[in-house]
Amino acid sequence: MSGSGWLFRFGMLLAAGFIALLILLPLFSLLLYADPARQLALLRSDETLAALRVTLTTSLLATGAIFVTGLPTAFAISRFNRKWRQLVDSLLELPMVLPQIVAGLALLLAFGRNGIFGRVLSAWGMQIPFSTAAVVLAIIFVLAPFFIRRTAVLFDQVDHELEEAAQLLGAGPFFGFRHVTLPLCRRPLIAEAIMVFLQSIGLFGAVILFAGNIPGRTRTLTLAIFDAFESNPEVAFALAALLLLVSLLLVLAGRLLLRNLDGGGK
Amino acid sequence: MSGFRLDIAFRRPHLALDVLLEIPPGLTLLLGPNGAGKTTLLRLLAGLEKPDDGTITSNDRTLFDAARGICLPPSQRRIGLLFQHLALFPHLDVRDNIGFGLRAQGIGKVERERSIAAIVARFALEPHIDKPVAALSGGERQKVALARTLAARPDVLLLDEPTATLDQENRWRFRAWLAEILAEWKVPTLMVTHDPADAASFRKRIVVLEGGRICQRGSFHQLLHAPATPFVADFAGVNFISGTIGTDNGATIFTSAAGTRLQAPFELSRSGPACLTVLPWEIALYRELPEGSPRNVVEGTVRDAIVLGDRVRVTLLGREKLVAEISLRGYQAMGQPGRGATLFAAFKAREARVENV
Repeated sequence: MSGSGWLFRFGMLLAAGFIALLILLPLFSLLLYADPARQLALLRSDETLAALRVTLTTSLLATGAIFVTGLPTAFAISRFNRKWRQLVDSLLELPMVLPQIVAGLALLLAFGRNGIFGRVLSAWGMQIPFSTAAVVLAIIFVLAPFFIRRTAVLFDQVDHELEEAAQLLGAGPFFGFRHVTLPLCRRPLIAEAIMVFLQSIGLFGAVILFAGNIPGRTRTLTLAIFDAFESNPEVAFALAALLLLVSLLLVLAGRLLLRNLDGGGK
Repeated sequence: MSGFRLDIAFRRPHLALDVLLEIPPGLTLLLGPNGAGKTTLLRLLAGLEKPDDGTITSNDRTLFDAARGICLPPSQRRIGLLFQHLALFPHLDVRDNIGFGLRAQGIGKVERERSIAAIVARFALEPHIDKPVAALSGGERQKVALARTLAARPDVLLLDEPTATLDQENRWRFRAWLAEILAEWKVPTLMVTHDPADAASFRKRIVVLEGGRICQRGSFHQLLHAPATPFVADFAGVNFISGTIGTDNGATIFTSAAGTRLQAPFELSRSGPACLTVLPWEIALYRELPEGSPRNVVEGTVRDAIVLGDRVRVTLLGREKLVAEISLRGYQAMGQPGRGATLFAAFKAREARVENV
């Protein structure tokens, strides 16, 4: 018996080692590629700065929008009865498994100049595709379902009796949500928001199709990498290393924020 | 009419309730076997579940009326519910837990602080006011939960097995304390329990819910003497002796109305009229007078012995009427004493409970 236990542990170690190697090796190579002087020079270029600015603003806007609209949606889903819940859960799964390229095309069909909704908008003189708004919209389309799904599960886990206790003490639905449900989920919710922000920074397929690759307007860091890879691979690698560093910094910042929340009392 | 009145029907595949009940100010005890629908009944009254039919009124305010399509949400019923597991808010400290209802009802800060201070003082919770609720003991948490419920100024109070999660000693302390608090608040109160000791302690008004209906109502005394169902009989099987607590040569002693002198834990009682309860399974039976034992011993003759599975319930008549429940094996080892046999019933002092009446 102890023999098979040893084998099992060895198997686990082997699997973990394989995965770690596969993931860490490329990341490590990219980090090694990052040469401080070159990174700094890259950071000083207007093009890179513009891409970084577009990336961060669109990601922040999209994260905010997903949080503000996704939160109530997830709460509603969490409180649906079982039949409706299953239906909505399957509906959410669809965009989750949709390839981003397809998502981009679908967005174009809906909001493009000749799209269903795009025609209405262009009648009002508005045009979404190939604008900064399109980047935000593409991010929301791709990431909101993930956020909603995970957040609904968070709300499921809140002890129902606590919400009932709040109601019986005279709390209306919003007061109960604001003062009981939300604070109880605060930490994982913030973790989810950070996750959405980090994921949105790296989005590519849906963005390039729906928003195009216009410098200073819709060219995010990933699009800049794609663009550079075709003309000047060296810059592409440098940009990739930069993106990795930015992500790493943001992950660390997120950790720090969550740790402060834990230490911050109530 | 002040008080709480309900006449409701609720039907589900596994449970059907048909309950007509009036709860006057003061404590009414709701007894019933497990699965009788006691907790569901509380949830129906609180508005957490919806009855299929009927009416619920509180001080002439209609909370629910199926015919008129009225069904107030829980937040507007002014019903306080003490959950069995308390449902204290883990993210708030004691002060904010207690003040939650007032805040939810939009009471201003000054008045809120005053109300919290008053109830915290009454419940002796000052040392804990800034603590998170997780830092409190079971008894303290119970106090905070009741304080939170009462601070919201309910018209009706529902208690779901408040003694179930406490240990034996704290249970009696809690009962005495609860009786005191309820005497001050005077709201109609319905307390669910399946602990016979609760019934022995709060014995004025008891209703029994069985098979989805109220099958009996009355005082504990009435239930004891004329149980309507086997459940009530079982439940009321707890031995109940009335008498007085007094002192004899400086030692506290309980003397029954018939003159039997018994020992019990007296820490929580004072001299004067009292009742002593002891559960049937805490009594041992002997053929001979057990010698050198520090226990309470009562002599009696067997009136009947009923076999219940692997247990035997023996009723002894003598100066006191006592019901003992012993193992079948023990009963057989004694030679199966039948009607008329003389036996000695013994129980330890700490297994008896005394309460002032």
